[in-house]
Amino acid sequence: MSVAAGGGESKIDKTKLTMYGLGGGILGIYLAHVLNMITGTGYFSFLAGLGAIAAIVMGADAVRRVCAYGIGTGVPSIGMMAMGMGLVAAMFGLAVAGVAGPIIGIAIAMGFGYFVGMLANKIIKMNIPVMEEVLMSLGGAGAVVIIALSVVISGQIGYQDMLNDVVFTGFIAIVFIAGALAILQPFNANLGPDETQDRTLVHAISTGGLAMFAAGIGSLITVGVGGAVLTMLIAAAIWLKAFLWYFKLVKRDSAGVVGTGLLAEGGL
Amino acid sequence: MSTFDASTLIYVIQIVIGGLLVGIGVHFVPVGGAPAAMAQATGVGTGTVQLATGSGLTGLISAGLMMSVTDNILLIVLSGAVGAMIMMDVTMIVGNWVYIYGIGVPPVAAKVDYDPITKDPQPPYISPGTVGHGVPTVSYVSGTIGGLLGGAGGSLIYYALMNINGVSGLSAFFAIGIFVVNAVIASYNIQGTIEGFHDPKFKRIPRAIQACFIATLIIGIFAVLIHGGA
Repeated sequence: MSVAAGGGESKIDKTKLTMYGLGGGILGIYLAHVLNMITGTGYFSFLAGLGAIAAIVMGADAVRRVCAYGIGTGVPSIGMMAMGMGLVAAMFGLAVAGVAGPIIGIAIAMGFGYFVGMLANKIIKMNIPVMEEVLMSLGGAGAVVIIALSVVISGQIGYQDMLNDVVFTGFIAIVFIAGALAILQPFNANLGPDETQDRTLVHAISTGGLAMFAAGIGSLITVGVGGAVLTMLIAAAIWLKAFLWYFKLVKRDSAGVVGTGLLAEGGL
Repeated sequence: MSTFDASTLIYVIQIVIGGLLVGIGVHFVPVGGAPAAMAQATGVGTGTVQLATGSGLTGLISAGLMMSVTDNILLIVLSGAVGAMIMMDVTMIVGNWVYIYGIGVPPVAAKVDYDPITKDPQPPYISPGTVGHGVPTVSYVSGTIGGLLGGAGGSLIYYALMNINGVSGLSAFFAIGIFVVNAVIASYNIQGTIEGFHDPKFKRIPRAIQACFIATLIIGIFAVLIHGGA
């Protein structure tokens, strides 16, 4: 699994991405919660899905920064770890802090990440200089994605409703794995010496759209058909747009895309 | 927020022991990674986290089943361990079928000259240019031990959390969360691949024990404070 992945230069600064990811995620979660509460409907759940996509892009960028060092265990491992830390922290925040839960949860997840990064460098002696900082971003991204996708399904932030709508129904499994895949897949699919940041991040938008779509399907039985269909339509539109954009970047970065037709008879 | 009393402390200790078992268990599982997927290295051809999560989830299912009929911690942990061992063994044997009958390579360990269990010589069977292939006997036994430790650890975490919040979905996913963190830390320690307990990398285990202990302790303290709702 040792992927000495390479990875190209970063055109977009990591601080900017982290800011947009965390800010967009938290904004989406709270806007969905507040607007749903004021209007008494589930139509604004999709805003949390948009927040999740912002955090997924930030997470995917963190993955590409750390995996460029060749962590030796494959890209998926770090995405799963992000969700593992994010899940415990997110649920802790929601359980103890009520409406302030998401912010507390995200902060604790980032703390976990920094800590685990420190353990990896100091005790396991991985000596990857960006480990602490990257795992901090990843923990935060994991927590935002878990909370945001859960809000898409439950429509608001309250812990008890979250338990009823997301945990008891089993949708937590989809939130966990769809969120993890959305974060880890972009770099896993694009890695290599010709990897470019914009291609990976555009791919992250499309995987984020798919995760949002999955959460939208879950919300069919919790926030109602209207809100769920709206979420799914927006997610599908995002996916389509991002995927076409991604395909364009693939063609830009490839040496050449040539239609060769089938091999001639006896050509082998 | 749940109150923090003596019994909570015991649950934290159980979670930490569970996390340590997971971290140690990963060192026993023969993970070959991408080279093994091309039959160029000994072990199962996938990453540590996939293998550990697969066996850990199966362990959780069997532990959860046992927990629905009894409160006996020993039975629950054993049930989880057996579930994970079965999953691990099935994965390794089906992998071996593919290596032996599909690719046509004999299972062989590259890190030792003689298989410590069967005493069979290993080097003559290693294809040139590779570092072993398939899952030889010693790795198979090692993997089974890994499944036992991982499954026992995962179900111990699950048992402790179930006693605190009583919500099976929440406990299961927290158990998976803690499981994954420990499995990844442990797999960083072996740099992604290991053949089993005969591999020289196995000697790095003390570092993983320290790291997993601290990481699980911190995450465990937060996990036990989460209640299961009204």
